[in-house]
Amino acid sequence: MSSTGENAPKEFVYPVEVEKLDVGYPEQRVLLEKISFKVAPGEIVGLLGPSGCGKSTLLRHLVGLEPIKSGQIRLFGQDLWAGGGVHIDSLRRKFGIMYQGGALFGNLNLIENVAMPLKEFSNLPQGAIMVAARLKLSLVGLEGFEHHLPSSLSGGMQKRAAIARALSLEPKLLFLDEPSAGLDPVTSAGLDGLIVTLARNLNLAFVIVTHELGSIMTTIDRAILFDKEKKGIVAEGTPDFLANHSETLEAKAFFRRGSNNSRTTHA
Amino acid sequence: MPLPLAINKPLELTFTADDTVALQGDLDATVPAKVWDKLLKRPASASSASIAPSKSLTLDLSGLTVLDLNGAAQLLWLKSIFEKKEMTVSIKDVPENFSPIWDLACRTLAPRAPLPSKDTLIETVGHHFSDFFKDMTALIAFLGEVIANFILLIPHPLKVRWKTTLAITEKAVVNALPVTALVAFLVGLILAFQAAMFMKLFGVDIFVADLVGLSIIRELGTLLTAIVLTGRSGSAFSAELGAMKINQEIDAFLTMGLSPTRDLALPRVIALTLATPLLTILADFAGLLGGNVVMITRGYPVSVFWTELSGHLSTSDLGTGLFKSLVFGFTVAAIGCQRGLATGSGPGAVGEATTKGVVTNIVVLATLDSVFAVLFYVLNW
Repeated sequence: MSSTGENAPKEFVYPVEVEKLDVGYPEQRVLLEKISFKVAPGEIVGLLGPSGCGKSTLLRHLVGLEPIKSGQIRLFGQDLWAGGGVHIDSLRRKFGIMYQGGALFGNLNLIENVAMPLKEFSNLPQGAIMVAARLKLSLVGLEGFEHHLPSSLSGGMQKRAAIARALSLEPKLLFLDEPSAGLDPVTSAGLDGLIVTLARNLNLAFVIVTHELGSIMTTIDRAILFDKEKKGIVAEGTPDFLANHSETLEAKAFFRRGSNNSRTTHA
Repeated sequence: MPLPLAINKPLELTFTADDTVALQGDLDATVPAKVWDKLLKRPASASSASIAPSKSLTLDLSGLTVLDLNGAAQLLWLKSIFEKKEMTVSIKDVPENFSPIWDLACRTLAPRAPLPSKDTLIETVGHHFSDFFKDMTALIAFLGEVIANFILLIPHPLKVRWKTTLAITEKAVVNALPVTALVAFLVGLILAFQAAMFMKLFGVDIFVADLVGLSIIRELGTLLTAIVLTGRSGSAFSAELGAMKINQEIDAFLTMGLSPTRDLALPRVIALTLATPLLTILADFAGLLGGNVVMITRGYPVSVFWTELSGHLSTSDLGTGLFKSLVFGFTVAAIGCQRGLATGSGPGAVGEATTKGVVTNIVVLATLDSVFAVLFYVLNW
């Protein structure tokens, strides 16, 4: 298992700290019990597991969309659920999120989508906001598409634009929900490359919910594997370690398909 | 009101000698626009304490405590403004820990591509006209396609989806009975009341029965029914078919070799075309009932109203009304379906298609009604 935050400075605040958290919707059964993990600055952490194990619910807890049952979530050292709506809103400025479908605003073009958070929350001059939005779009490889509506772009481009929007307020933490879902391998690899580049260049921490083994192996620094039956974390470490050296049955089952694929490829 | 971003160290500008401005503090999204006003609106002839206006400017970044991409974007924006004024701007002493960000920003931001030029007024008007004619062509082509499909199915009546047609008739027409009857009753009531007030002055308020009868049976009953069906059923057709288009169900129909016009639109068109006259008869009756209620309140027995009415109404009055309702039913359903099938892409497309369907229907109904009025006058029907 790798130590967390190899790229992080010696003294730092963890962007994400989860402690003894019960994951689940109110009035419903607990999906994951007493889970704990941390995410260091600049680290790319993958939340893995079979469908229905509670990954997406955990993500909703982490971004403040779903109240927690018990336990604690600290973002940048502050307890997310300790205060009311104003407290959660102030913490939400410190992270960005990319939803599975991109969730761009369909009636705004790309530059307006990316500029919107800066227009809402900052007092920057209009010209500077537009330059900043153009900069973010260029950073994700969408220069020249500033005036396109989201509906005129491919799925991969929409996801890139959604990342650009998530970067609008320069957060140090990004949550990505299934970034590779529905993308072809080449586009998916391009998106993986972008995630690694952003993490390394901007020291961004990423928390990624994903199923794609290809993306997991090439992108993620540390994988956290959840299990539906055991209702908790069953394995944690680098994807390479989990795929090749982990003795955990669930890890072997999860990564087996990847190993089989690679054998077929080499045959 | 959104919360403002938290500021740690506010950015300060210090004007030093040699056309240099020192920046100290956090250069990020928390910088207020007014900070740059000091730099952008400096006087043409500067005092000795501030920088003298010249053709060059140096920004000293050594005092920055934060520099992120939003901060770098502000510097690039300033550079572009001064460069437009033919001034050269140089950046010096970027702190070592921020130089990767500054290099990344400079490397990433390509020279600004020219914005797409906006259309002139004539071009805009031309585009609108062109779009309108394309739209009308598509609409007329679709109406023709529906009629052709209907004619082709006449020798094979069992191929019509009668089960679907009956279900649509129930949903779109039978369920619309109460609202149509209520609207027609109230319109008959209002019409009779307004007319009676005036006609009483001349002692001819008995003719209110004829006025209400002719208006309702020849015009209003038909038109009101069609408008209610437009709002209630035509829009539902647009929304249903629009949602199917967005979900690629229409594509699935086409790739399976099926015709959306024959299998989706035609049952709706048949249902509304055949059932609208029946609904119109009910609306006519409700409207007349409204008029009758007013006449009763003015002291005329029920039989007087109906006797007066039967003396002046002919079968051609009823025939023209019902003929129009047949055409209106066809129009409302066909236009609703066409707008639904022509739905574009994007989250607002279904709403847009529904709105377009309702607006087109109302305009077409009013136009057709005027045409029929002239036609029946000329034909003396």
